[in-house]
Amino acid sequence: MLALLNDQQRTVTAKMGQFVPLIMAAWGGAWLIGFGALFLIDGLSPAFSLPAGAAIGIFIAVLLIAIGLSIWLGVRSGRGVKSGSDFSGTVYGVTWSGGSFAIAAIGGGLLQAGMSPEIANLFYPSVFIFFVGIMYLAAGAIWRAVPSIVAGAYLLVLASVAPFIGYPWHYLFFAFAGGLGFLLFAILGRNLLNGSASYRTAGA
Amino acid sequence: MDELDPVIHAQARLRIMATLATLETDDSITFPRLQELLDMTAGNLSTHLRKLEEPAYVDITKTHRGRTPITYLALSKKGRRAFEDYMDTLRTVLGEQP
Repeated sequence: MLALLNDQQRTVTAKMGQFVPLIMAAWGGAWLIGFGALFLIDGLSPAFSLPAGAAIGIFIAVLLIAIGLSIWLGVRSGRGVKSGSDFSGTVYGVTWSGGSFAIAAIGGGLLQAGMSPEIANLFYPSVFIFFVGIMYLAAGAIWRAVPSIVAGAYLLVLASVAPFIGYPWHYLFFAFAGGLGFLLFAILGRNLLNGSASYRTAGA
Repeated sequence: MDELDPVIHAQARLRIMATLATLETDDSITFPRLQELLDMTAGNLSTHLRKLEEPAYVDITKTHRGRTPITYLALSKKGRRAFEDYMDTLRTVLGEQP
């Protein structure tokens, strides 16, 4: 009976959470392609150089695809479930946009105060990734999702290390350490869901 | 606490309770989605839900989206407590630490 019970809860967790590895994989691909494109602006010159406009276009396009896919998969998995207290969820959602605007504003202020474009190249990706890491950690804390905490902590490390690597190599670092890291998380998460471990402890 | 709760102690109802217990405390789930997660027929699920509704283990809320009726299900406070007690008793019976 206890086995049946644990089995049932594991199956439900797996069914409800099967979108998480897919989202992670989408972000892995987006990082790999997006930061890879940014790296190619100057990374391999003079042998090869991707025009900055094209690189930024690719970066934004893959980012939008990953965001769209995350929202679609998230909504699909949550279908049929009504949240009673949406307070945390709403605050969390608004924090994403609030935080992003704040970073853009801080960056704008620093540029106005004389931050060079070279330093802005280091500042923006690192600070945004730092923010995403913090948000993953917050999500992990609110919804008790250990993988989210692991991914968040990993992003904090990436964001902290990157400025020391310098332009344009930090983009290559994000592409591989970040992109491949997420793809690895996706595979691990998939195995975790299919296997014996259940990460959602609430009510179990 | 020595005896296993007979309302919960039937395979189908145990699965329903276990599934509802994975939801957050204030969350509820629609009937079709629960049916899909449990892979049970609608008739079978309703029958067992009715049995769980009698001791008020399950809160059933009927509402409408447009003209479509929707039934939301959730464990009541009493139901969640009963499920936790059941788990503890089961573990004790099996000789595990609750």
